[in-house]
Amino acid sequence: MVEGFNESINVWLIWMLPFIGAAVVPAIAKGSRRARDYIAVGFALASAISAATLIPLGLAGHEVHSQVPWISALGLKAGVLADPLAILMTNIVAWISFLIMVYSVGYMHGDRDLTRYWFFMLFFIGSMQLIVISDNLLMVFFGWEGVGLASYALIGFWYYDRKKDYVGKEGHYAGGIPMWTSPTHAGMKAFLMTKAGDVMMLAGMFLIFMHAGTFGFKELIADQTWAETLAQQNLLVPAAVLLFGGAVGKSAQFPLNEWLLEAMTGPTAVSALIHAATMVKAGVFLVARIGPLFFALSALNTSQFFEVVAWTGAITAFLLATQALVSPEIKKVLAYSTGSQIGYMMMGLGIAGISLNFADGYTAGFFHLMSHAMFKASLFMGAGALLHTVGSRFMTDMGGLRKHMPKTYIFMLLAALSLAGAPLFTSGFWSKDAIFAAVLESGYTYSMPLFIMAVVVAIMTAFYTFRMIGMAFFGRGSKHLEEMEHKGHHLHEVGPTMWVPFAILAVASIAIGVVGFVFEAQIHHLLSEYLGESFGIHGEEEEGGIQIAPEGDRTVFGLNPIAAAASVGAFGVGAALGFIFYIARKADPAVIGRNIVTRAIWKFLYNRWYLNTALYWGGVIGPLAIYRFIWRYFESTIIDGINPALQNSMAYMSKVVKAGQTGTTQTYLFVFAVGIMIILMLMFL
Amino acid sequence: MAESFFLLAATFLPLLLAPVAYIIGRRAGVNATTWFSFGVLAISTGLLFIPTLALHGGQSAYVEKYAWGQFGDFGLRLDGLSLPFALIIYILCTVLALYSKPYMVHKIMEDLPGHGGHGNPTSGHSSETHITEGSQAMTTVQVQKHVNNQMGLYFALYLAFSMGMFGTVLATNLIEFYVFFELMLVPSFFLVAFYGYGARKRIALMFFFWTHAGAVVLLLSLLAMGFFAGGFDFDTIRANASLIPADWLPLIVFGIVAGLGVKLAAFLLHIWLPYAHAEAPTPVSALLSPAMIGIGAYGLLRLWMELLTGSYEQYSIYINMWGLATMIYGGAMALMQDDIKKVLAYSSISQMGYILFGLGSESILGISGSTMLYVTHGLGKAVLFMMAGSIILQTGTRSMAKLGGLAGKMPYTAVIAMIGALTIMGVPPTSGFMAEWVMFNGVLQTSANDGDWFRSAMFGFGIMATILSSAYILWMIKRVFFGKIPEELAHVKDSNRYITVTMGVFAALSLAIGIYPDAFLNPITGYIDGMFADYPGVLDAPQTSGVELASDPEGEGLVISESVVPAAPDSAVEEGGGH
Repeated sequence: MVEGFNESINVWLIWMLPFIGAAVVPAIAKGSRRARDYIAVGFALASAISAATLIPLGLAGHEVHSQVPWISALGLKAGVLADPLAILMTNIVAWISFLIMVYSVGYMHGDRDLTRYWFFMLFFIGSMQLIVISDNLLMVFFGWEGVGLASYALIGFWYYDRKKDYVGKEGHYAGGIPMWTSPTHAGMKAFLMTKAGDVMMLAGMFLIFMHAGTFGFKELIADQTWAETLAQQNLLVPAAVLLFGGAVGKSAQFPLNEWLLEAMTGPTAVSALIHAATMVKAGVFLVARIGPLFFALSALNTSQFFEVVAWTGAITAFLLATQALVSPEIKKVLAYSTGSQIGYMMMGLGIAGISLNFADGYTAGFFHLMSHAMFKASLFMGAGALLHTVGSRFMTDMGGLRKHMPKTYIFMLLAALSLAGAPLFTSGFWSKDAIFAAVLESGYTYSMPLFIMAVVVAIMTAFYTFRMIGMAFFGRGSKHLEEMEHKGHHLHEVGPTMWVPFAILAVASIAIGVVGFVFEAQIHHLLSEYLGESFGIHGEEEEGGIQIAPEGDRTVFGLNPIAAAASVGAFGVGAALGFIFYIARKADPAVIGRNIVTRAIWKFLYNRWYLNTALYWGGVIGPLAIYRFIWRYFESTIIDGINPALQNSMAYMSKVVKAGQTGTTQTYLFVFAVGIMIILMLMFL
Repeated sequence: MAESFFLLAATFLPLLLAPVAYIIGRRAGVNATTWFSFGVLAISTGLLFIPTLALHGGQSAYVEKYAWGQFGDFGLRLDGLSLPFALIIYILCTVLALYSKPYMVHKIMEDLPGHGGHGNPTSGHSSETHITEGSQAMTTVQVQKHVNNQMGLYFALYLAFSMGMFGTVLATNLIEFYVFFELMLVPSFFLVAFYGYGARKRIALMFFFWTHAGAVVLLLSLLAMGFFAGGFDFDTIRANASLIPADWLPLIVFGIVAGLGVKLAAFLLHIWLPYAHAEAPTPVSALLSPAMIGIGAYGLLRLWMELLTGSYEQYSIYINMWGLATMIYGGAMALMQDDIKKVLAYSSISQMGYILFGLGSESILGISGSTMLYVTHGLGKAVLFMMAGSIILQTGTRSMAKLGGLAGKMPYTAVIAMIGALTIMGVPPTSGFMAEWVMFNGVLQTSANDGDWFRSAMFGFGIMATILSSAYILWMIKRVFFGKIPEELAHVKDSNRYITVTMGVFAALSLAIGIYPDAFLNPITGYIDGMFADYPGVLDAPQTSGVELASDPEGEGLVISESVVPAAPDSAVEEGGGH
């Protein structure tokens, strides 16, 4: 049932309110700064409330679909679609955004460009909600580029490029490429790299539009002839993979992962909102949006698409987790971790499409998205509190802070436990476990390698999480801190506008963890019904396929024993190592530097597998060298040479002609006679 | 004879009142002549809106015709194709008239001996400027008089230039087209020669020489077309296109494409553009680049694709390739520049490449997208050139090496320039995206439909080139507005309202069109659809597969531009979509 604009105004307002707020804030800023801050937060809250009104509807499994005319030349309509998936997501986005907006009031206090900050934060929230709530790919793309723009603007928020806003260690080169980056450079890098994904996404959209004549999700599922036509041309899977390309760019998956690290030049609240909780999830959400559609088309052999998704996720998860092991900057550890965890989500969603029971992997991926959004936003805000107090982004400049900042310590620890996947009482444990189980039970030929990768990543995750906690809060205070105290700076806890938001999220992620089990079952139920109703995807018993999944009692209350054992084990190993090295400080991490092999590995990881180096040589320096060559030897020499050449040749011709004009009659007569003779000869011979 | 004279008045009002603008400038000063010229252009734009409304009311084309001796009819025709061009040209001209005031006064003062000492905006080679203008310093009264004279002359030329561009896109006759085409060249030559930077006389001559050479090649083709078809009216030629002998057709097409290619500054024929655009006074650059060179694209559409539709499919692929080369080449060269205006000049070349790329796409969407690109490039590039002007005014330099960190000092310029930048990069919600996605969609449609690997590869390179476009634009923005501010720019202030407000108007238009493109996209697709109605090889826009999901709340449903299509039979729409 399609509703009009007025009946579903609350859905439209979810994305419109933040945009209205963004427009209003600069106008108000002239009047009162305080009012500006409240109004910015107020608009975020209003949008969140608007989203909350949909919760009862979502829990009941209903949906709202509303359309208005838009581009009549092509018969396209604008619309919003609030189905259970979108309702879940929109609430996550809205409420986390609201909390981070509150946090920003404290974190950004006194910044001279706060109006611009609020503008882009609200613009971001609006764009993100547009992605979530739109009913067609074209509007999703509007939001997609909108969040990209906000990300660009906020990464480079401190556009005056002070040294303290840089990311990376000054003087660190890898393969000739500097590894420290200014905010404005980072913003540009993020924009261009995600753009590479976006053009792929556009191409995928065009392929679908070409035969479907629409971008609407509902229309695409209602009439699937477009897919058959595409499949006949062998373009269905490429179209899906191209769409996924957009997700790869936006979610910083391999091979477009390099921008996310530099994105940490933005204010920490921005990192928490955009580069941890929401925007980077847009890619996951896109896959969650289109995944069922392509699964419903599995008669047309779409499973390759899901394989691509699953392996991209697995590779990214592994790649970035290894790099997180060695990073000295707290925000970068979290950034690597974000990319790595998103890899998990992709793995979950990908494996869903290859397995018999789509809903399992799908739920697992989405559940991980939810729990990660909470604990990672919380961790980032905690890291922001540390930065705020310590004034340095390096963990080596921290240490022993648990005495000075007890609240930050406790809540970061809670969130960190969730990231590390501490068994039974953290949401991170349940969602990760669900992914493990989905991979194990998928019946996919290569599920074992995927599973092993996932477990290895889990070990590393637990390790770097405890490393981070240990380096920041345990041991003795660093020289930097001593100096600060020496100078009379008192190391103190941050104010409540800052710690309350991340406390709420940390506690929420534990609360969900405690009832994790029931919670997961609820989401599973909800999403299964959604998949069944909207896409006709049912559990394996209705699928009619051959049952390859392991026989017998696969799950005990949805808990796969092997998966659970593996995730508990992984946590145990990783956490123990982290504890020994960084919390109990029984062993010194400096041993790594003494052995030539471990040192080489360390260097390889520290230099980010030289991917950034390759990116710059191949994508920036190389092309620029070619362009410079063309500029110098073609444009400046040949093309610019045409004008003088023309001029000179004219001058020369006039000289030649002039030379003929001797003025002596004899010469003229002679030439004339010779001419006549030649003509006569030509005529008679 | 026509019953109404809206277009005639809109076209010739600026020309007729150009001398008046000069006299007002002399007698009443700078403000008076600025607002007078603005008023004239605003009235002309208003006159244009009346037939525009008639078009939106469902009329297919609005034509005014007058007998013109042996050439046929002198007509002015507003239809789905000329509408976007005509509107953008006059909107740009009107708003830029106001922008000209502070800029040109500054420029004229700067060229005076003894007054140009502070800040020299050319990148170091303006020796000619100072020697030629006389040798003695003038008194204040004399300066005032000089400025008044010069501004009067400037606006007189400016009005004539506007009229030339406008007339070209409304012409209904080959000779008429040519006359207007050359008419716009003459005032623009003087504008560059009198008010430009650097070696302006030499550059103006170069600009004149190349575009004129192109025009002559074009004229040869037009004459050949006219003689074979037995008349110069567009209608006659379209009806009698089959009379043109097959041996001559390739030559004629070549002449049209090459002649207009010079105007478009397509790859290898772009020799004049970087100089002319960089050294013209900035308001004129802002007209030359977006409005004038795009008329080459209009010419291709009107003279080649509409009149000789039969030859289109045969050569479209070459236009496609040429477009790709132009867009990559322009983008790559833009990355190499240090002068803001040169970046923008090469960017214009690149953008013309996009237009050519779409024109060669063999699909309604691609061609419509290209036409939209003219609109959007007009707005976006005008904003960026105006940004360059604003920076030249406030800092006295246009070398990016000497700039940086201006976002804090010139916030309005920075914000509006960013919207212009997004328009050129094709990022939603600006109009740039609307144009680009429609255009690229068309290109992909053809390549996928034909299963043509070559075209698919070109699509791939083309859409990757948008990254290149983003790169040079973002890098320029970064070098101008971000980073550390140089010490000598520590006290820079933002430009006055003549500049920021006029920039803002274009930025707002770009956003409005980007969010709701119907006003332009509807007539364009409708018209182009009709143009190729009998040519199934040119792919139609995809239509929804017919699933109506539910009742339409507003009761408007899928209305597919029933209005402006001149006799587009419904059957053609269906048959072209057959895959």
